[in-house]
Amino acid sequence: MTVFGFILKNALRNTRRALLTISSVAVSSALLVSLMTLERELTVPPEAEGASLRIIARNKVSLMQPLPAKQLSAIQRIPGIVTVTPFTYFGGLYENEEFTSFAQFAVDPVPFQSIIVDGPVIDGSYEAWVKNRTGCLVGADTMKRYNLKVGDQMRFRGTFYPCDLDLKIEAVYQGTVDDRNIFFHHKLLDELTGDPGTVGTWYLRAESVEVADRVIQQVNDTFANTSAEVRAESERAFQMGFVSMWGNVSNLIRGVNLVVVFTLVLVAVSTMSMAVRERFRELAVLKALGFQRRDLFGFILAEGFGLSVIGGAVGIGGAWAFWTFSDIQQMTNGFLIVFEVTPRIVGMAAAVASVLGVVSSIGPAISVGRMSVVEGLKTLD
Amino acid sequence: MAADPIVQVRDLSKLYRQGDIDVTALNHVSVDIQPAEFVVLMGPSGSGKSTLLHIIAGIDRPTSGDVLVQGINVGNLSESDLATWRNQYVGFVFQSFNLIPVLTAAENVELPLLLTRLDRKSRKEQVQAALELVGLGDRLHHRPDQLSGGQQQRVAIARALVTDPVLIVADEPTGNLDAKSASDVLDILRSLSSRSGKTVIMVTHDPKAAGYGTRSLHLEKGEIVA
Repeated sequence: MTVFGFILKNALRNTRRALLTISSVAVSSALLVSLMTLERELTVPPEAEGASLRIIARNKVSLMQPLPAKQLSAIQRIPGIVTVTPFTYFGGLYENEEFTSFAQFAVDPVPFQSIIVDGPVIDGSYEAWVKNRTGCLVGADTMKRYNLKVGDQMRFRGTFYPCDLDLKIEAVYQGTVDDRNIFFHHKLLDELTGDPGTVGTWYLRAESVEVADRVIQQVNDTFANTSAEVRAESERAFQMGFVSMWGNVSNLIRGVNLVVVFTLVLVAVSTMSMAVRERFRELAVLKALGFQRRDLFGFILAEGFGLSVIGGAVGIGGAWAFWTFSDIQQMTNGFLIVFEVTPRIVGMAAAVASVLGVVSSIGPAISVGRMSVVEGLKTLD
Repeated sequence: MAADPIVQVRDLSKLYRQGDIDVTALNHVSVDIQPAEFVVLMGPSGSGKSTLLHIIAGIDRPTSGDVLVQGINVGNLSESDLATWRNQYVGFVFQSFNLIPVLTAAENVELPLLLTRLDRKSRKEQVQAALELVGLGDRLHHRPDQLSGGQQQRVAIARALVTDPVLIVADEPTGNLDAKSASDVLDILRSLSSRSGKTVIMVTHDPKAAGYGTRSLHLEKGEIVA
């Protein structure tokens, strides 16, 4: 017999309790990993390759306030800008859906081609879309989700705008951080809405990262003290503006995480206390045979640590496997496009499980250390 | 000429505090025990016999007085040194056997040897020898719940003697056994004393069990009266 074998036999002496403990740690760890991943997905948007070059200019008052279309020529004159397109959110509902998780944007297809460089066309033809005013460019994820093909019609009911859209799929793109969106001609939107002479936002591409900050400043300066002042910012900063709206949700998730960890600690401490309490006499006998306090502390620590780590490994591994091999878009009806359990999240959850093992063992180990052999023998006699 | 005593108890007292009351478990007890003696401690409940046994065996501390085993003053040892000393000098046999239920007979006997520097092979040999000595050489891989009470107590005796200690202490070892098993256990303890030269100190209520000893000490109210 080895010391390890002795610890293992002790840990598994009550198989049902050991399995229940491992299960509770596993389920809690899986929940912890899932919540940490959810928080990350909500608060850290995926970063696209060309994001640092792309700039979005919106109305300084609010994103909901449109900008005058006549600003275009002034923006085009600013040095360092490669291209600029109107970029207006349509916000329609697809077919008979009550909730549509992908967005539709009205753009000018020609300059837009220089902006969507991350997502090359994989089916159909970009030129065909440019030529067809009622055509649209569709993300590969949406094509797959609705089982669409090039040439199909897509109908959207307007919610922000008092009009509907009937669009023919002319091209399919893939490779951006969000391959769900649909783009159509801004001219079509202008026609359907009576050409109000407005756009939602401007989407620009700077020549280089070095000039991007200057371009942003110049765009803002150009329209300062006009009736439609703009707020230009990098695509990344614009996304982070949306993320800030999730602030309270993030705090809520963190709160739930804390509750999960706290509950986990209580479960583990309770289990280890019971496990040690019921063999107080045996531990007293071990002391009588010559085992030192540190030996008994080591036995209890190894047992608690072992159960927690096994539970943690099962839970974290299970959560990783589940989220890695699941179709998160399908599960969330397109709300989330990725759900990546990162090494950092795995590491944090593993650290929680390890610390839990130590914390759950300390109390029982101290009480055993303090116990005299005579007291231990009397306790359960 | 008599040999030097293996155990010397000098003016030993033990006071317990129960609530607001001081209880005297041992009151200035002195006694010498010679090597290979089989000493039986008798007396009514609360007379202090178990307390005396526990202090001699180093699992309890006296309030005053000294216990010397082979010249070592047990009361002066630190907690850590005392644990090592117990492992090397004392073998314990308890009334309720106190075997680890998830371990086999051989593994239970091997437990004290895990604290020694013996390799696996040597440990196995010593375990085998100890179990054969108590007549359980064919029960190595049985767990305690697969053994009778008498067999379990014999495993406990094997565990007590596997480290070859000079002192075997037994606290009512036959209290939970039938007459036949009790007789077997007492025979083994007597044999350890008479043939193997171990010093055995046993606490018992049973006058018949006391008959196996070479000397009986009667305690009452914390004092040796006979």
